[in-house]
Amino acid sequence: MNIQPQMARHGRERDVHHVEMRGVNKRFGEFTAIHDLDLSVGKGEFCALLGPSGCGKSTILRMIAGLEAVNSGSVFISGVNVTRMHPAKRHIAMVFQSYALYPHLTVRQNIAFSLSVAGASREVQAKRADEIAGLLQLGHLMDRKPAQLSGGQRQRVAIGRALVREPEVFLFDEPLSNLDAMLRVQMRIELAKLHKTLGATMIYVTHDQVEAMTLADRIVVLDRGVVAQVGAPLELYAKPANKFVASFIGAPTMNFLAITPTAYAGRAVTLAFDSASASASPGLTVQARNVPDASSPPTEIGIRPEHIAITNPSDRRAQISGTVQLVERLGNLTIVYLSTAAGQIVAEGSGELDVKVDENVGLVIDTARTHLFGTDGAAL
Amino acid sequence: MSAEREMRMSTGYFASARAMEGDRRGFVERLLDGRAKYLVGAACIALCTVMLLPLLASVLASLKSTAEAAAVPPTYFPHGLSLDSYHRLWNFQAGLLTYLGNSAGAALLTILFCLGLTIPAGYALGRFPVPGKEFFFLVLLLGLIIPYQALLTPLFFLFVQLKLHNSLVGLAIVHTAIQLPFSIYIMRNAFEAVPRELEEAAVIDGCNSWQVLVRVFLPAIVPAIITVSLFAFITSWNEFLAALVIMNKDTSFTLPLILAAARQQTSIGGTDWGMLQAGITISVIPCIAFYLLLQKYYVAGFLNGAVK
Ligand SMILES: Nc1ncnc2c1ncn2[C@@H]1O[C@H](COP(=O)(O)OP(=O)(O)OP(=O)(O)O)[C@@H](O)[C@H]1O
Ligand SMILES: [Mg+2]
Repeated sequence: MNIQPQMARHGRERDVHHVEMRGVNKRFGEFTAIHDLDLSVGKGEFCALLGPSGCGKSTILRMIAGLEAVNSGSVFISGVNVTRMHPAKRHIAMVFQSYALYPHLTVRQNIAFSLSVAGASREVQAKRADEIAGLLQLGHLMDRKPAQLSGGQRQRVAIGRALVREPEVFLFDEPLSNLDAMLRVQMRIELAKLHKTLGATMIYVTHDQVEAMTLADRIVVLDRGVVAQVGAPLELYAKPANKFVASFIGAPTMNFLAITPTAYAGRAVTLAFDSASASASPGLTVQARNVPDASSPPTEIGIRPEHIAITNPSDRRAQISGTVQLVERLGNLTIVYLSTAAGQIVAEGSGELDVKVDENVGLVIDTARTHLFGTDGAAL
Repeated sequence: MSAEREMRMSTGYFASARAMEGDRRGFVERLLDGRAKYLVGAACIALCTVMLLPLLASVLASLKSTAEAAAVPPTYFPHGLSLDSYHRLWNFQAGLLTYLGNSAGAALLTILFCLGLTIPAGYALGRFPVPGKEFFFLVLLLGLIIPYQALLTPLFFLFVQLKLHNSLVGLAIVHTAIQLPFSIYIMRNAFEAVPRELEEAAVIDGCNSWQVLVRVFLPAIVPAIITVSLFAFITSWNEFLAALVIMNKDTSFTLPLILAAARQQTSIGGTDWGMLQAGITISVIPCIAFYLLLQKYYVAGFLNGAVK
């Protein structure tokens, strides 16, 4: 099926951002939900908006869709200012978290709904609906009502209803969050395939970092209505711009320990843990991203659990030692909760890791992959 | 890495789903467990008996012969079935069909007026940011505390001026006014209960406000439409006082008026009990029939939004 007539229509505008928000503010009464947002999404890009509940992800999506008016700033789609344009005229389609299928219509009628509103003939409606159904493997369900479908099937119908409009931009608001874990993984793969087939621009809201990391070309991490960082998935993982992103990306969460730098040598920082009993531990030397500025010293170190290896306490590479408090065995890996002189630490090891509760172990920190944060939370 | 996390999450998810199922084994089931169920059953039977006995008595009395219907002391069961009473009712004054027609016409018009007014009102109050809508809503509900009986005299003069007396339209207007506050309340709840995303999906799919109403809201509020219609019907069908004041030609009477008139219909000016009971029986039939037929919908219509 031919799903991208817009490619031809807007081919000449390749250089403009496909979706762009400039200086957008959104207030609900006194409460500012979105603060001076600048966001641009390239053509054909899969962009994820990631953030905790209430950070304004849906609000951003709804402003792009035109369901929510902006208080100031503008929204552009394909270089056209759509800030005051009716949702139906924006060449977008939206898939809602609750699917929002029309309960009184069959799957076929649901998919063909926008065509029917636009006054297409019955034959055209049926033909287009069947094409979409073929693409999404819905053929055998066309005469059922939404109530007679499973969650995954409803999700596919909702996507079908978006597809039939041949939109330039797909907007997804947590489309998988109502599905169970297995189905979520499966639909995730289908969505990735769909993006590949269509090559359309997709903006995808989620609070699930796994979804964002696996699907997106680029992730926009949001923190209380402000962009915390924009980057490719691995970029966010390897180089979080601040403590918020560092703690949000990755599971189990990064360990944060209070430190005081004791010596600088170029980008290398020697530091001591602030914890009272830490005097016992030797200094740790790690790499900062830039040559540190003595006027704003790092106050915290972030270490991902997977970058802490567990060895025996006598291992000479171990920088600190700790006592095992809890062991979670997940089969292919083991999560170990430790109490150390530097504070509580979570470490991750292989599935066969040989540790017992109350055991004393040594910890080897991969000093090339630690992160330093200043008082304001920015990575240094 | 991700897969394990999801496995872990899924076990949690299923566990909580199971727990919820346990809780959902609701109040009613627990009530019907064990000995309590006999008590509940007995209470239900007692209640039904109290409610149904008078009806049954009416039906039985309507089937008695003329003499037996007037007998003192009255008999409980008719000694022989007779349709005399129905026969007299059929030919009473302008004929039963005229009155049935008037009643049905007024009821139908009342339903139309009610729906015609409350669907747009419910849509506006429920879905649009009308400034001061809570105030409007309250004012509309205020109608509930003013007894319409108090307004009948001025209403009568007004209707005479407007040539709405002795007209089904006029009567339906009064009945609509009586029924309006309740209907608006139901409609507003129903419109508010429709998920916002459904409306938004339709807007993105290209619907204007009117199309959203017709294509999305109306199908979604069918229970409310049925509830409002049903109550409009019953109000209009049974209403007596306004009909008495406004309808004063014997060809424009409605059923309740005929039942009242039947009180002076025996040769000696007393009450024709048999005919009265026949009239009651006939006027009760459509009410019960609609109730039973539409029960599923009007229960939903009440619960919709009311128990959010
Ligand atoms: N109509 C509204 N009126 C008032 N406040 C609102 C409204 N819609 C959203 N908000 C507020 O704006 C903030 C952002 O809401 P939004 O729905 O965008 O969050 P979200 O990131 O999508 O969260 P979630 O992951 O829970 O869906 C929240 O604090 C919310 O309370
Ligand atoms: Mg949301």
